[in-house]
Amino acid sequence: MSLSTTPLTPEIVSHEGNAMVLSMGPQHPSTHGVLQIMLEIEGENVIKLEPEIGYLHTGIEKNCENLFWSQVQTNVERMDYLAPSSNAFCYVLAVEKLLGITDAIPERAQVIRVLQAELTRIASHCVQLGTHAIDLGAISVFFYCFDLRENILDLQEAAGGARMHPNYLRVGGVNGDLPDGYLERVDALIAKFPGRMRELRGLLQANPIFQDRTIDVGYMSPADAVSWSVTGPPLRASGVAYDVRKALPYSGYEHYDFDVPTRTDGDAYARFLVRLDEMEQSLRIIEQARKKLNTPGPVVIDDPKIVAPPKETIALSMEALIHHFKIVSEGFRVPPGDVYQSVEGPRGELGYYIVSNGENRPYRLRTRPPSMYNLQCLKGMAPGNLIADLVVMIGSLDPVFGEVDR
Amino acid sequence: MGLACCAIEMMTVTSAEYDIARLGSEVFRSSPRQADLMIVSGRVAQKMAPVVKRLYDQMADPKWVISMGACASSGGVFDNYAIVQGVDTVIPVDVYVPGCPPTPDGLLYAVNLIQQQIREGGRGGILARS
Amino acid sequence: MPSTQTPPLAGTATDPTSVRPAIDDAIIERVELSALRARLEALKAEGFSMLLDLGAVDYLGRAPRFDVVYHLLKMPVVAATVAQVGAPGRMRVLCGINDGDHVPSVVSLWPSADWAEREVFDLFGITFDGHPDLRRIQMPHDWEGAPLRKDYPLRGPARERAPRPAFALKSNVQAGTPPSGKTLAALQEQIKKAREQ
Repeated sequence: MSLSTTPLTPEIVSHEGNAMVLSMGPQHPSTHGVLQIMLEIEGENVIKLEPEIGYLHTGIEKNCENLFWSQVQTNVERMDYLAPSSNAFCYVLAVEKLLGITDAIPERAQVIRVLQAELTRIASHCVQLGTHAIDLGAISVFFYCFDLRENILDLQEAAGGARMHPNYLRVGGVNGDLPDGYLERVDALIAKFPGRMRELRGLLQANPIFQDRTIDVGYMSPADAVSWSVTGPPLRASGVAYDVRKALPYSGYEHYDFDVPTRTDGDAYARFLVRLDEMEQSLRIIEQARKKLNTPGPVVIDDPKIVAPPKETIALSMEALIHHFKIVSEGFRVPPGDVYQSVEGPRGELGYYIVSNGENRPYRLRTRPPSMYNLQCLKGMAPGNLIADLVVMIGSLDPVFGEVDR
Repeated sequence: MGLACCAIEMMTVTSAEYDIARLGSEVFRSSPRQADLMIVSGRVAQKMAPVVKRLYDQMADPKWVISMGACASSGGVFDNYAIVQGVDTVIPVDVYVPGCPPTPDGLLYAVNLIQQQIREGGRGGILARS
Repeated sequence: MPSTQTPPLAGTATDPTSVRPAIDDAIIERVELSALRARLEALKAEGFSMLLDLGAVDYLGRAPRFDVVYHLLKMPVVAATVAQVGAPGRMRVLCGINDGDHVPSVVSLWPSADWAEREVFDLFGITFDGHPDLRRIQMPHDWEGAPLRKDYPLRGPARERAPRPAFALKSNVQAGTPPSGKTLAALQEQIKKAREQ
């Protein structure tokens, strides 16, 4: 695993043979976003490569220093845009730790959060599988995956109001209880899911072309994976069963019965299998969460300084009106401190290091982006392979550039 | 030009539920040389702006541009050093689609508006309402 | 405009990183710059095989100005089952540095620090000695300035908004007299008085 030295620029490098430097991206159908890879290639073989990121740098971390704690959530959800609820989950857990209200979050809110997190994990894996397959030419899989994703986006829209960035998980609980008919739709999804998984497995798992393209491509040993700080499905496909939901449980995950799928092959096919198995484990968690949601309960903490009281009480109570006014005009204050909170996102360990100095805005919000660390190992993985294999490797690592570049 | 979150909704518009193929946009060409319509979907970072301009220049006339989403239209939620405040500061835009991200129906309506513009023979930014 | 936040002063009640009961499960340790490399090597030898994250915080107005933060995870490499992984220990190493200090690079210990250190160099302007390829990663290569510093304007130097004019609290009413703009004559009187002020 070697590191690059000087930046490559596109040119024809005059070695003996066909060596040249080519820029793959930043606009390319198979780079899964705005990634530029400077490839030194000889024919179709990659000799050296240098990924170039930053084409989606949004300055979210600086933006967040100028927004109220509740406004930061809208920016933070747009980092990993395939699984917005998982970003929101990590953020609200971190802020609640700083506020010291982690134990006060009602049970129903925790169950709803777990439900949203697992739904968003399945949705994210659907996009990954669909785009990975379409890079390899299996276009039908894309339609099957996105159809499944539509059901989940409908559920997210019903709960939070928007398909992709619902802003449903809030500091102190969730934004309102689940609407009527929601649980019946979850039941319908649970019923539909096994059939759809069978179809996806049938399309790809034993497909000789898919196996030819992915087996033994992009191998990573467990030691390499750990030293390159790879987390999530690529790490578990290399044999290290690290899952933050099991290692450091949050929001009641210790009460759910699920497995952490692990493989030892460490190649792109193993990562594909790990993600399929993870989708099935997510459905197990969703079934258990669905049963727990039969009992009603509060969905926000009872602290008017953090969560605005219900709108109906404004006309009746002066304190409710003042709290509403304060929360909307200047937000709530968070005591000084720093915290590192991590969750298991679909891409790996997503973490936020938040520093507060007692004000109503964060002082610093640093993201631990799983996709950036997963993407770095490409530099050691790709040389010696074909460009077509590089496409498979990028797809199997599953980067999201909103998170890599922030 | 799939940049960020809007790109996912752009991919969804090609899926079975929304199906942009029935409007004629069957294939998404990756090469600007073969494309008539550029959909800028997502926030345009400072590093990406010259790339967008270059891709627009590489497209052959006649060409149209849809600016999809709040970030491409005006900078969106991100009013800071890193994001170009509207891709229309870099390339001319024909249809703006508001939303963060806009629903796939919004993008379908935008394509309808482009078709209307082509029929009427004109150019110019029209706010797509959906 | 540059940051309007009050920086937390080291050692006071608002210092987020002073020694106090930890909010999360990580062991927090503050290390001097001169002892940083040795301490990180020792931690790696102890079993902290994964560098989870490397970041920086700008405490403008405090001396030392920056904090470089290393998040480490004690991950056993042979860990094929959840039971073998267990609950890996976490460590947070903070190192206070001044503007212009050079920090030793840890790329030789954990290769994943490559891009993380480049990002800190790009966005904060902190130089890492021993990094194989220290150049900008997020901003364009010819960008000037370090955007995440607290004295860098949010909207960038080109778009810094002109400061809003301070609102002069001028009232048309003389202190102590009730407003009497009900008749046209009184209103015109008030306007004349305000113009004379």
